[in-house]
Parts: sequence; C-alpha cells; structure tokens
Amino acid sequence: MESGDGGGEGADFDKDEEAETKADLLRDRFRLSVISIANAEAKKAGMEMSDPVVACVADLAFKYTEQLAKDVELFAQHAGRKSVNMEDVILSAHRNEHLTSLLRSFSQELKGKEPQTDRKRKRS
Amino acid sequence: MDDTFDHDLIHAIFKLVWSRRAHKSEANKPMDVEFGAGTSKKNRSTTANASALKVSCELLRVFVTEAVQRAAIIAEAEGIDNIEPTHLERILPQLLLDF
Repeated sequence: MESGDGGGEGADFDKDEEAETKADLLRDRFRLSVISIANAEAKKAGMEMSDPVVACVADLAFKYTEQLAKDVELFAQHAGRKSVNMEDVILSAHRNEHLTSLLRSFSQELKGKEPQTDRKRKRS
Repeated sequence: MDDTFDHDLIHAIFKLVWSRRAHKSEANKPMDVEFGAGTSKKNRSTTANASALKVSCELLRVFVTEAVQRAAIIAEAEGIDNIEPTHLERILPQLLLDF
C-alpha cells in the first residue's frame, strides 16, 4: 500500500482508494458481527445457518446500514440539524409499525437509564 | 446474553457513508441554494449522537434476527434443521418491505 505524503491537490484518487480500504475493513468487521448474531439466533431456534445464507444476510445488512445512514442524514437535514438523533432513526423504521414501537420502547428504556438527555425541550 | 453490533463500528460505517456523500456534493456544486436550510452553510459532515447510535445498533440487530427467525420458520415448516438459501429467498420480499 503506497503511503502518499504528497496528498495535496489531485488527492481525490488517493482519497477514494483510502475510502475503499476503510470500507473493506468495516465490511469485514461488520460481517463478523452479523455471523455471531445470526448464529446465536439460529441456535435459539434450534437450527444452523448454511454459510451462503449467513454471507447473504451480512451483505444485506451492510447495504441496509448504508441506506440507513443516508436516510437518517436526510431526516436530520430536513429538520435543519447537522446531528442525527434518536427520532431520526426511529423515523427510518416507519414502514413497519411493530418495528417502530419496538424501537420506541427501546429508546424510552435508554432515556430511563440516562436521566441527562441532550435536549431539554420535548418535541411532541 | 444477546449479541449486538458495536457502536463504534456502526458509527464508522455511518461516517464513511456521510463523508462519501459530502465529497460527492462538493464535487458537483459547492453551493446548492435550492436544497434548503440544511446545506446553506459549508458542508460539514453529519454526526450522530450516542443514543441515535444505540438505537441504530438495535435496529440492525433486529434486521439480522428477523431475517434469521423468519427463515428459520420456513425451514422448520419443511422439517429441516439447516437454514438454506431457499428459505432466505422466501422471506426476503417481506423483510425488505418491512425495513
């Protein structure tokens, strides 16, 4: 791997390569997490996962994560914020009511654990 | 105990996506007036607070567990104890509609 110390102008290509390598590392770490979560879940159901299925779920989940990042960024920007908050994430799950209420109760549990919240005003 | 995703990992992936988008929009137009209030300032990249990351990790964990659980139901119905690609295929459309 070439280390570019003259990375001033025209470093776009280097930046892209760097981003690619970073992305690959993250994808691998992510895949490992999915493998452990998926296998644990399969075990609970008394099943085993075939390797291609785990790989597929991992790829899907990674793509979903990327999509989630885009969605929450859009929601935050739409609200005139630079920082994504919990509501943005919960909103991204709007397609399934069950999922929304699941996340909402999860977020309320979080709020209960931490008495100090970022925002003082509550938006209804 | 339940496994879940590491917050830093998810945060890193988010940041990667956001910086990719910021980079793209910088290349096209530095000032996109019609886009609205959010981008009228210099394009500093988006951030996420800690609770947003926690809920994101939970959302992703649910995505994975839902995929596995739904596929397991199909496999079980067929009397097989190994989750195979065809099982995943069957549940994929509804999974993607739900998330």
